Amino acid sequence: MTPLPADAANLVKKTALKSGASVCGIADASAFDEPAPAGHRPGDLLPGARSVIVVGGAQPRAGDWRATSPAVLHSMGTTERIQSVGRKLAQSIESELGYYALYVPPGTASGDTPFLSFMLAAELAGVGSRSLAGPVLNREHGFMYWSVVLTTAPLAADGPEPEGACPAPACREMWDREGTTPCLQVCPASAGGCLSGTLSAGRPVRTFYDAARCNSRVHTHWVGGFQKILEETLNEPDRDKRKMLLYGDFFTRTLWAVTYSSTNIAQCFECMRVCPAAHGLKEMR
Amino acid sequence: MTDATADTTLEGAIKAIGLRAGARVVGIAAAEAFREKVPEGYRPEDILPGARSVVVAGGDGPTAGAWRSPDHRVMEITGYDLRENVAIHAMCDHIESQLAHYAIQAPSLPMHGHEPPMSMMHAAELAGLGSRSLAAHIILNPEYGLLYYAALITTLPLAPDPPLARPACLNAGCAAMYKRLGTTPCLRVCPACLQGTVKDGVIETSTYDREKCHSRAQTYGIGSFQKGLLAIVNEDDAAQRRTMIYGDFFTKTLQSVGFFRDSIAQCFECMRVCPVGRKHRKLQ
Repeated sequence: MTPLPADAANLVKKTALKSGASVCGIADASAFDEPAPAGHRPGDLLPGARSVIVVGGAQPRAGDWRATSPAVLHSMGTTERIQSVGRKLAQSIESELGYYALYVPPGTASGDTPFLSFMLAAELAGVGSRSLAGPVLNREHGFMYWSVVLTTAPLAADGPEPEGACPAPACREMWDREGTTPCLQVCPASAGGCLSGTLSAGRPVRTFYDAARCNSRVHTHWVGGFQKILEETLNEPDRDKRKMLLYGDFFTRTLWAVTYSSTNIAQCFECMRVCPAAHGLKEMR
Repeated sequence: MTDATADTTLEGAIKAIGLRAGARVVGIAAAEAFREKVPEGYRPEDILPGARSVVVAGGDGPTAGAWRSPDHRVMEITGYDLRENVAIHAMCDHIESQLAHYAIQAPSLPMHGHEPPMSMMHAAELAGLGSRSLAAHIILNPEYGLLYYAALITTLPLAPDPPLARPACLNAGCAAMYKRLGTTPCLRVCPACLQGTVKDGVIETSTYDREKCHSRAQTYGIGSFQKGLLAIVNEDDAAQRRTMIYGDFFTKTLQSVGFFRDSIAQCFECMRVCPVGRKHRKLQ
């Protein structure tokens, strides 16, 4: 057995960054014991898991957020690139360090339940914290996509961030002034939206989130869209209307989304579009 | 099979590009070697006129950690890099841009039935990367066991690698088991799909129930989409149809169609018990 290099954690992080991640953090697997339910902890997926590596990146570019056409973000997803980094990292840990590594599938085992919460992993690995809108935000880069690798290698862990990206200073000011924030204002649960929340001692506290509604808006044209039109088509007795349903824009776009899943994953980004902390700190010209 | 990163020959330089692009192994076969066993219409020169060589790349499947997971659903939708395809494109680009010879990725998806325009299994065998196993004829690399293969066809003449001197299957442990018990780990774990006999430590006969194996290996995918859709279309009761459309099986099927490389196969049992390449699955 090859001994684990003293700087193994740094080696892993360097590999992740070189492979395309914008950030990489490490959590101790035992940190999941309290917040994660049984069956969804690192050791439930990889016996003897000691560390959880989280890579973040592949977020929409500043130019994507700035684009005037909503069709850009609707149909130009980038999330798949971060999953490739996770896969590569898992292979690299096994080949280079000689420890087991498991790339956690980004899909769900059943229903909407993930194998392991990537959001919790990102928080525990110190690469982000939950926002009032829901997504985990990184302090430097804002909104990101995540991939998670479990390993039996005992790597030096990072702690959670002492202070999150949310609320941004501008949101604190808006809250003091108007009693709301950009994300709560753009998608209020009280007016057909998904979010309710408050700022308490300067920290975001989400008081309500309509996950089912949010899911159906974020994934307008994906598996759910396909199921919806399939059901409507089969329930439709009129042949001409059935033809319209199947050849119409909605179903056509849905088929594009299903077959190009890696580049057409989400359609609603409104809470992130208006979030001052979501687009990163780097100023563009 | 060669670790070609230090090889300064033309072949070594091409292999090094493939290995750097993510292939675990790279081998070369002569295009003419396909003539012996491949029917006309399915040979490299039928796909690329003037083909002289076939370069084959093998890529990793699940990590050792994925094999170790007690949650079987992890392996069902574990992600693959499919880097062998990237490696093939990197080598094609090099051959066309630097060596001025035609190079294309060999087509491997079925055009009708289960029949691909060109067999990646046979290409891997001829390139010396592996040999057919008792386990559904899956190609086993003697060092790494189960790998996934892609190939390129080129008009560039390259020195071929020799086929394996000794087949990867049977492993010595399996031969001893067969002598003692009349079976092997793969035959024992899946008597429903696999059949075979061994004589003097080598495979004597080998066959498998392809339809059964296929429907188990790919529970979620195009086949289950067709199956689910037919059942849904044939269901007269609207409420029952709704349950079928929104149920876990059809939903997972749609997800697997969309995220193909995250949901390539669901049954790995014959490979789970196979000792070939297992040393790479034993880590700390």
